[in-house]
Amino acid sequence: MVGGKVRGKSLAPVGVNIVQDAERSLELALQDAGIPRERVEIVAGTGYGRFKVHFGQFVVTEISCHAKGAHHLFPKTRLVLDIGGQDTKAIRINERGEVVDFSMNDKCAAGTGRFLDVCANALGYDVADIGALSLTAKAPMRITSTCTVFAESEVTSYLSRGKRPEDIIAGVHASIANRSISLLQRAGIEPEVTFTGGVSRNEGMVRELGNRLKLPINVSPTSQYVGAVGAALFATERVEAGPR
Amino acid sequence: MTRGADSGAFLGSARELQKQMVDRYYSSLQPGNERKPVAYMLVGGNLAEIVRAFGYEVVFPEIVALTCAIKHTSLDYILKAEAMGYGLDVCGYVKNDLGLQESGGETVFGKIPPPDLLVCSFSGCYVYVKWWEALAEKYGVPLVTFDVPYMRGPTPLKEDMAYMVAQLEEFISKLEKITGRSLDRQELRRILARSRAAEEGWVRFLQRGRERPSPIEAYFEAVFYMFPINVLRGTQEAVDFYEAVNRDVDRRIAERQYPVPTEKVRLVVEGVPPYPHYRTFWDFFKSWGAVSVAATYPKVGGLFDRGFLHDPARPLESIAEYSLGAYVNQSWPLRRAIIADYVKEYEADAVLIHGIKSCRSFTAGQGDLRDYVSRELGVPTLYIESDHQDPRYFAPAQVKNRMDAFFESLEHRRAVSHAAGVV
Ligand code: SF4
Repeated sequence: MVGGKVRGKSLAPVGVNIVQDAERSLELALQDAGIPRERVEIVAGTGYGRFKVHFGQFVVTEISCHAKGAHHLFPKTRLVLDIGGQDTKAIRINERGEVVDFSMNDKCAAGTGRFLDVCANALGYDVADIGALSLTAKAPMRITSTCTVFAESEVTSYLSRGKRPEDIIAGVHASIANRSISLLQRAGIEPEVTFTGGVSRNEGMVRELGNRLKLPINVSPTSQYVGAVGAALFATERVEAGPR
Repeated sequence: MTRGADSGAFLGSARELQKQMVDRYYSSLQPGNERKPVAYMLVGGNLAEIVRAFGYEVVFPEIVALTCAIKHTSLDYILKAEAMGYGLDVCGYVKNDLGLQESGGETVFGKIPPPDLLVCSFSGCYVYVKWWEALAEKYGVPLVTFDVPYMRGPTPLKEDMAYMVAQLEEFISKLEKITGRSLDRQELRRILARSRAAEEGWVRFLQRGRERPSPIEAYFEAVFYMFPINVLRGTQEAVDFYEAVNRDVDRRIAERQYPVPTEKVRLVVEGVPPYPHYRTFWDFFKSWGAVSVAATYPKVGGLFDRGFLHDPARPLESIAEYSLGAYVNQSWPLRRAIIADYVKEYEADAVLIHGIKSCRSFTAGQGDLRDYVSRELGVPTLYIESDHQDPRYFAPAQVKNRMDAFFESLEHRRAVSHAAGVV
């Protein structure tokens, strides 16, 4: 980020070596921005691996970052839903983009991106394609298991009973939407709602949530980067505040 | 040596004394030592004074269990109980105890003697009854159940009191039969007077949390000091201990030794601690300069700070009032009111609720409590979930993430309002 504007970005899967993966991501983002490393003034680490960003100067949780990033992109946002790979968060924010309250899923993969991955795989699809596929559903199935492992076998059994993949996947979306809505209710539903994180790239999920909430949902084309945008904004604030 | 031993210089001599006292207590129970018959009791609303007056020593399996957990040995017993057929949903205290009994009472802090008498004060937890029945079956010793009605209003009802006092009289005559001696009512009064003196000292300690900065840690530290108010209540040792603790708190203030070097967040904490990860959990608080100024859990043995004190002048009535006033025996509106009062009286910035998977008595209703505190009182609230006994239910990265986000947001908001105030 330069002067409050995103100049470069990169997205990479994180493996066992978080330190190395973070380093590589930084290099790629710098290449994208066309900025040499020496010109980097400050780096913020966020997410579960935030303490592994050894080259960073400070850490902020992704909860604060998603709040800040969503507010920056959609200033009227009061509620952020972030569905990532390993957890789901509903974050209520104020007019300044500060976190007022938040709710997160239990410590299991139910209702997260991982749940979606597993179900897509069970159907033999790539997770990137199931959003569009679900839009063609005619009679969505009901997935009752919240446990990812059980849901996977439920999906397989529907498939073996000859149910159509689009109807099954629409059921998977409905199940995630239900869990997300209960988290949103805990945090307090207030327009505008902004959807962030990897799962927000799935148009089937966006539609399902919008129908249930009966509210328009903001999704930025860069919704997977909202946390990173938030972290960069915190970093910018620090630079602007000067040395303490 | 527990990992919690170096939990902070501010603890000073008080923590040292507490450790010595715990050691003395467990050594007194060891085989070979001349020891009294043992009564097993449950902490909430217990009848320690009466059994003491009959010459019993008191053992609280809940406290033994939490001690196992804090010393990282609870999982062994839990797995043993699960192998015996107790399911995943059974309370960790129960499984710790039954697994331990099956292991001949051996713990890393000594052997826990089997019971000679089982007293089940049924206050809020149905599991208690089943647990004590299992012990009665195993050891074939007398089991007495003491039924404590739920507290529906702030003061005990006349009918409830009559019911309780009648049960106490019956309990006394049962004990007279079992022991073959009659109750020495003078001795009971003397025990009650010592209980009250200890309770007053304990309350004085707890109320120091009102000071700014708080010289005490009203959750993590208070949990250490609950031991004498529960296990040694009625003895002079307990009275002396709280005097020493209060002197130590005066020393802290004189030396400006506080639980956190700079107090940033004052918390009211609700819920049973995650004992298997006690130190880690406490460290999360410390890393944000957060100190607990009041907490509900240290009052499970008695809501002495709300006026339920033992009184030698009204022996049975005050025991009845005390038992009715056990924290988990209070209705949810009463529990909410206690928390609202604590937030105000102790000038807290936020409330942290720790829910445990094991226990419905303590935990069911905490979701509504969270909504009440955050929406109706407008006080920031964080809800964390794990277990008090089973280490498998604590996910450090997730707990830390939530706590970091919560404290971060308090800090951001405070920084902004501070800046706004300056302009
Ligand atoms: S269920 Fe709760 S009240 Fe009952 S024994 Fe377990 S922890 Fe104690």
